[in-house]
Amino acid sequence: MTALLARVLAGLLGRCGGLLGPGRRDWVQAMLTEANEIPDGSARLAWLGGGLWLVVRELLPRTIRVLAFIAAAAGVLWIVWPGSPSDSAVPVNRLEVPVILLLLAGLPVVVRRSFGPVRDNWLPRAVRVVGYAIVLALIAGKSVMARDGSKLGAYFHQSWALETVVLLAITGYIAAILILTSQRVRLTRSSLQIGIGVGAVWAGVLYASAPLGEDLEAPSIKWWFLAALALPLATGFIAARVSSRDTQPMGLAPTRQGCLTAVWAAGSAAMLLAALTSVTIALFPHSVPLQTPAPPAILQNGTVIPPNLRHEYWVELSVGQADLTAYLVLLLAPLFGSGLGALGAGLARRSRRSDERDGGGPQRQPSPAPSSARS
Amino acid sequence: MARRSRFSTQTLSVLAALQAEPAAWQHGYLIAKETGLQSGTLYPVLIRLSERGLLEARWEDEQPAGRPRRHLYRLTPDGLAQATAALTEAAPRRQRAPAAATRRPAVEKT
Repeated sequence: MTALLARVLAGLLGRCGGLLGPGRRDWVQAMLTEANEIPDGSARLAWLGGGLWLVVRELLPRTIRVLAFIAAAAGVLWIVWPGSPSDSAVPVNRLEVPVILLLLAGLPVVVRRSFGPVRDNWLPRAVRVVGYAIVLALIAGKSVMARDGSKLGAYFHQSWALETVVLLAITGYIAAILILTSQRVRLTRSSLQIGIGVGAVWAGVLYASAPLGEDLEAPSIKWWFLAALALPLATGFIAARVSSRDTQPMGLAPTRQGCLTAVWAAGSAAMLLAALTSVTIALFPHSVPLQTPAPPAILQNGTVIPPNLRHEYWVELSVGQADLTAYLVLLLAPLFGSGLGALGAGLARRSRRSDERDGGGPQRQPSPAPSSARS
Repeated sequence: MARRSRFSTQTLSVLAALQAEPAAWQHGYLIAKETGLQSGTLYPVLIRLSERGLLEARWEDEQPAGRPRRHLYRLTPDGLAQATAALTEAAPRRQRAPAAATRRPAVEKT
């Protein structure tokens, strides 16, 4: 009976071990090999049971992540799919959302081949999970908002070019989340923390100032642009200074750390802001203020809005365009982040050099770590 | 206040078993017998040490008669240095609490 049970356990261990990554299969094979040397009986059963427990512990987090993603993706489709055929946003949503879901599922495999798996630390893993949740919220909110803002489909024409640009931007954001948390891009832990902190605060402040989207004509828009200029600069400076003191071995120079951290901060702020604003508008479309001035009765292409539909058209136009500023920020944030972040990191390098010339500043420990050798 | 070792008691017992014969390649069942650890505890420790670059692993080169090839382990030079440091640091604690990690006749073998 024990021999039969041991054979069953060994078979199960061999099969389940095959589901693990190549780096882990050798260890399972080793356990199976060792099992043959253990005397038949409870000792061998315990050995094989321990092996199975190891495999389950390895597979469980991945299984939970996959199931959670499938459930979330199904939820997004369930939210986004319904809609009248006359609504001009519905066909766009039904094409765009599955494409983004496929990208979310497939990009980790592509990125893993070039940049390696996720770094073995809780923070990069948490960043990936939260990043995916934000992207899912963003596409759900954006699609519902577009659907609510295009019910009079005959008077709203979706711009496929604009949708393609947004799709490419979202693809870039997903790829950036995966790449910056992968093993081969050695963004330090402090850089990740600074980027997330600055990005979250930046998005929180801007969202609190205009939860239903900011009008490009509003007087407060100048604060948005001031923030867009100042924060990447400051983030690049701080991250470069902090990472230059880091004695941990790493693969990136402090200036590059500063630049990437600024991109990371600007990008995470933009994505969080776009997701929060889209979801708020999707949940409360009737709270969106009407655009001023009211749209003309005759559109640029000569289409006349009948008097009985003019108010509805005005409401839908306001809802559909309420999030434009957030999407503009989504498109421009990485550009601002990289340019100004590089400038901030360059300033940090200069100030560090002048600190060292003056004999002040941080006293670096003599260390063979590449971070200190490189500056 | 005493500083906590960065290795768990189980990891220390595996390090001790491997450090006892640093040049020798040992297989998992032998280490399990020396440490008294079950496979579900031992192998995660070995995997972690290997991922940190403290342990090297290889399969036996030649097919022995009558049994399959074994997966063999020994400490890397860095692993040996860290094991020596950690075991020296943990020695007073290990003497105070011998039950946790002294089911290992091999450690005394040296």
